[in-house]
Amino acid sequence: MTEILKVENLKKSFNLSRKQQKLEKTYQKVKVAVNDLTFSAYKGEIFGLLGPNGAGKTTTLRMLATLIKPDGGNAFIDGKSIINEENEVRRKIGFLTSELKLEDFFTPNYLFGFFSELYGVDKTTAAQRRQVLFSKFGIDKFAEVKFGNLSTGMKQKVSLVISIVHDPELIIFDEPTNGLDVLTAKVVTDFLEELRAEGKTIILSTHIFSLVEKLCDRVGIIINGQLIALDTLENLTKEKNLEDTFFELYEKTTGDRI
Amino acid sequence: MKNIFTIIKKEFSRFFKDKRMVITVLLPGLLIFAVYSLMGTVFSGMESVDENYKPKAYIVAAPQNLEETFSSILEITEKPSLEEAKKAVTEGELDIVVVFPSDFSQTIGTATPPDVKIFYNSAERNSVYGYTFVTAVLGQINTSAFTVNAASDKFDLATGRDITGNLMSTIMPMLMFALLASGCIAVAPESIAGEKERGTMATMLITPIRRVELALGKIISLTCFALLSGISSFLGVILSLPKLMGGMVGAEAAAFYSVGDYFMVLAIIISVVLVIISAFSVVSAYAKSVKEAGSLISPLMILVIVLGMATMFFAGNVPHVAIYIVPLLGSGLAMSSIMSFSVNPLGFALSIISNLVITAAFVVLLAFMFKSEKIMFKK
Repeated sequence: MTEILKVENLKKSFNLSRKQQKLEKTYQKVKVAVNDLTFSAYKGEIFGLLGPNGAGKTTTLRMLATLIKPDGGNAFIDGKSIINEENEVRRKIGFLTSELKLEDFFTPNYLFGFFSELYGVDKTTAAQRRQVLFSKFGIDKFAEVKFGNLSTGMKQKVSLVISIVHDPELIIFDEPTNGLDVLTAKVVTDFLEELRAEGKTIILSTHIFSLVEKLCDRVGIIINGQLIALDTLENLTKEKNLEDTFFELYEKTTGDRI
Repeated sequence: MKNIFTIIKKEFSRFFKDKRMVITVLLPGLLIFAVYSLMGTVFSGMESVDENYKPKAYIVAAPQNLEETFSSILEITEKPSLEEAKKAVTEGELDIVVVFPSDFSQTIGTATPPDVKIFYNSAERNSVYGYTFVTAVLGQINTSAFTVNAASDKFDLATGRDITGNLMSTIMPMLMFALLASGCIAVAPESIAGEKERGTMATMLITPIRRVELALGKIISLTCFALLSGISSFLGVILSLPKLMGGMVGAEAAAFYSVGDYFMVLAIIISVVLVIISAFSVVSAYAKSVKEAGSLISPLMILVIVLGMATMFFAGNVPHVAIYIVPLLGSGLAMSSIMSFSVNPLGFALSIISNLVITAAFVVLLAFMFKSEKIMFKK
């Protein structure tokens, strides 16, 4: 198995403002969002990062995508460090999250060309990829419609395609089916399976158990910034289904009763 | 380098797709034309002169009883001839020429009262002051006994060039600074704080584009948009010039300046826009939203206008060439010197260099800000 992603003791804390302290109902001035996270992902697998809201999933993904820097530890994508070789890492990853938006004034066609140029994809390759991806997602029908005038499903399809204009080795999807209708969600999940078949590595962050059970090869359960469990989906669901396993681990870790 | 052009292309595409933005940028020029044409009708010399100033006058055939009065209030100057004296008024060396008719004493108070001619230069504040002063003194004698400037001679000896130079050097820096700043405020917050607020900046930040390329691409394109606004405003000023000066100068006013003058003004405008747009961009990058950026930029906008206004107080006398290094103030002074046909080449060069250095510092700061997660992703 070829290791594409190696995460080593990743840590990240945030200073809390008074407003945030009130919201979080805490007197602590610092919140540890990710605490000593270590895991790997291999070529051709879908790795699921499962956890409740505020568990540290998005922070982990943002560090991997080089949007924010870790306070400690490191991560390597195809051997490139997210701390010292940010631009190399950016060339190797695709990142899709609701936090990243596309400009409403532009058409999918324009956006594809613009991001292809930023990723340094040559024009011929970009044109070929545009044809294949637009056709696969049915974007050609609205390729010249301004992004702001598209429906949520259409926007998500365009965002997904834009995130992989440069054919990255590692694709990070944060809640990729959130807010989508069942038809669009099916298109997206089918595409993730296709990407895996092509040998791409996918990191999938979600709190939807069924999505994990359907797609993931291995799963990391993250609670309060710590990786509580890391195993194949098969092993994690040997005795109980994934949902029961997750809640059992959650109660054990937090002491809260569900 | 290629990425800078990619960003510039994208910014242009975004700008021209938004009709409101284009109108906002081009509107100041039209407004200026309308407002200044109106202002021309009410524009009058409101400049003050030192109250102890004695206007320099050349007086022809002054009646004996007035000679003493004039000597006490005016600095009587000798000139070889009347024509020489009038030329000196035009050139600003002399303030006024007062010509009494040779038969003044005989004809005063008769059915054909004598006409006193006072030649002055309306582009020179001291000359206007002298004219007003002498008219007031004569008015105290007996206004019905003689007339002043009743003949059809051309008494205002100022040339259109003088009037244009005087007016333009006074108003141009303040006016251009205000217009350029308003052009910059129309585009910078939207392009930087707006992208941050909408989440489209983060999408660019996960691509391998170098932050300095992103900063340069943004600043170059925003400078172009603000320049559009500046050029539109400049044209507005030039076209409204004849009306602004109440007919004292015709449509040929724009021709008083050489092509070189226009190029120098353009160079100053570009360098000023670079400074303003890069400063506004830094503030916009710091702000969390377009609204916050607008609020934070407002004091800067006032500062820019004040620096433009400050050039008026120098009235063409810059005490030391080092003042040209002060960002924006130096540009205003350089612009003022071009407009008054008395360019200081060193001052001009220093002001441009100073602006470019400041802009480079802002670009580096902006690139640093694009790298900072605390600034780009603060909630």
